[in-house]
Amino acid sequence: MILDDYEVSNVIQIQINSWLIMIENYLPILIVFILAAGFVFVSLILSHFVGPRIDNKVKMMPYESGVDPVGETRIRFSIRFFLIALLFIIFDIEIVFLYPWAVVFKDFLTMGSFIFFEMVVFLFILAFGFVYVWKNGALEWE
Amino acid sequence: MDSLTNYLFVSASLFCLGLYGVITRRNAVAVLMGVELILNSANINFVAFARFSGMNMAGHVYALFVIVLAAAEAAVALAIIINIFNNFKTINVDDVSQLRQ
Amino acid sequence: MSNLNSLSYFWPELILTGTVLVAIVADLFYRKEDSFKVAWWVLGGLTLTMAAIRMGGSAVTDLFMGTIALDPFAEFFKVLILLSTVLVILISFKTDELKNYSVGEYFSILAIMAFGLFLMASAIDILMVYLSIEIVSIMSFFLAGYLKKSQLSNEAALKYVLYGAFSSGIMLFGFSILFGLTGSTKFFEIRQALAGLENGANLALIISAVFILAGFGYKISAVPFHFWTPDVYEGSPTTITAYLSIAPKAAGFAMLIRFFNQVMGDGTAMINDSWSALGGLPWPQLMGVLAVATMSLGNLVAIQQNSVKRMLAYSSIAHAGYMMMGLPVMSNQGIYGIMMYLVMYLFMNLGAFFVVIYIQGKTGGESYEDFNGLGWTMPFIGVVMALFMFALTGLPPTAGFIGKFYLFAAVIEAGPQFYWLAFFGALNSVISLYYYVRVVKHMYLRGERSDDVSMPSSNLVTVLLVFLAVPSLVLGVYWEPVANWINQSLVLLSSGM
Repeated sequence: MILDDYEVSNVIQIQINSWLIMIENYLPILIVFILAAGFVFVSLILSHFVGPRIDNKVKMMPYESGVDPVGETRIRFSIRFFLIALLFIIFDIEIVFLYPWAVVFKDFLTMGSFIFFEMVVFLFILAFGFVYVWKNGALEWE
Repeated sequence: MDSLTNYLFVSASLFCLGLYGVITRRNAVAVLMGVELILNSANINFVAFARFSGMNMAGHVYALFVIVLAAAEAAVALAIIINIFNNFKTINVDDVSQLRQ
Repeated sequence: MSNLNSLSYFWPELILTGTVLVAIVADLFYRKEDSFKVAWWVLGGLTLTMAAIRMGGSAVTDLFMGTIALDPFAEFFKVLILLSTVLVILISFKTDELKNYSVGEYFSILAIMAFGLFLMASAIDILMVYLSIEIVSIMSFFLAGYLKKSQLSNEAALKYVLYGAFSSGIMLFGFSILFGLTGSTKFFEIRQALAGLENGANLALIISAVFILAGFGYKISAVPFHFWTPDVYEGSPTTITAYLSIAPKAAGFAMLIRFFNQVMGDGTAMINDSWSALGGLPWPQLMGVLAVATMSLGNLVAIQQNSVKRMLAYSSIAHAGYMMMGLPVMSNQGIYGIMMYLVMYLFMNLGAFFVVIYIQGKTGGESYEDFNGLGWTMPFIGVVMALFMFALTGLPPTAGFIGKFYLFAAVIEAGPQFYWLAFFGALNSVISLYYYVRVVKHMYLRGERSDDVSMPSSNLVTVLLVFLAVPSLVLGVYWEPVANWINQSLVLLSSGM
């Protein structure tokens, strides 16, 4: 199909229009991004150039409510934090499996109550893991 | 604008970034982060292929399974890294080299 | 077959799951000193599982809507896996390394790993392959690092975890590309879709096949995916090394055979066109090159080792290389050879490791010098270890010779284009004689001869070693029962029923 100049420019115009329509949906996001980045950069640059800067040994010490720092700066990291986070992730993932099951539950209910007991067995097996964690004392002291 | 190649491009770049992370980083946790990147790039692949070939549900379900398995693996890996730290006082993979060559 | 109907065929795995749950709960009620009693629960459960496998009929079908295959091929591997698990649990009673640890989790994790290996041997769906490999890998990370106070064990676990997670991720990426190319995740549908792909998909197919091969190669420690093997085998507790050297390898080979036979080929002899033209790369030749590289590297580096445990680690890489020789010739003979070699390899390798475990308890070390003079002070151990060493080399009349014979016969029967494979296999067997006989030399020709001759101090060790040594010798001259069993088991589930 051979297009003459008028039709070619029409086709290009339509394509640019459709592209612009698609971009328009994402325009707010671009504006938010520019505003956020702009706020950060402007405040940093302004404070660097406009604010006073006098370096003083006393001013550079870590803040400890006015008195001189005592002891090491690192805290002994208790293992309990890691354990709680780990247990949360594992049981959260178990719950993630419940969501698709809940979506198709009603459709499969016509074939009997097998679908319900399937999930009960799954949760039962994971309950063994929970009992193990409980009895081994991983849920204490926090 | 919304075609399969865009998603494949994203997942391929994620794969390469993850590969770079695993090969180059010396911190054991950073290597683990690279591995997670690789697993997530495969996830994007699964979901993208499932969406663009007629809503093939298999891809979405498999992405769910892969997320779960990646989390379980990361849990065990972090526990091992904690063990390493208690024993060696460092998590630099270059320093943990007592086994010969 | 739908989910509900499949359950009645799934009894062995269900019993195994029940065993794991019972073991976890039983572990909570024992004090730390009694934690070995969990092993009895696990052993009972494993015996029931073996009974369930034996009593199950010989159905050939797919379960759970086409994700797991139930066929005699999978049954064969399940029996091998159960046998190795039971033997390793029995030797764990007498090992020195687990003395001050609470071992309840050790035994239950071993049972979970056996479950994962069952799934590995029967997987015919991409997700099931990934799921089972991850189950086995995560449990082995845990077991490799079980000795929390030992620096070597921790380091082995770290290297294993980083390498294993990385390889699984790469394999998953390959699988995702394969899913995209074919639109399905079940092996049979993939094969049908692959037949209809045009030439433009060649590059993607090659990339995905290479990535998938990386994941499988990591599991069977083929070159160039073997880098984790020496460190992990040396650092883990020796019982776990013995288990890792046989069970995941066997299940990994089952998965490889299923994948290459069912996806890349068409389930029959694949020597000519349908297997070699995939994506334009000559796959049989490539697999042959990988096999030769694996066995050569395993043998050549094993020569330089000073620790028997590390030598056995490298030698297990070499044995994986011998078994990989059966892969390019993906005919019935090739698969037969791999299965026969696995049976013989189980007895020989576990025997060698059990002797190392016992010597570790006696002398506290695992280098060649700890074997000095053992042939005279403990003649039973000397004879048995010499038998295992000669069997691993492949000398007649031991079982190792029969295994290698079937593999070489399959390779040579495939045609003149594979003669170089058989040549390199024979060359490597000759090279391996050096480091295997070195152990025998240290046992009989070094050290002082003393007159106090002793048997192993524990009856359990004697019984186990006899149980492993007798087949290593007898199966070298009378292997017909094993041959019949393998013939019956060589039935793979093929194109979707």
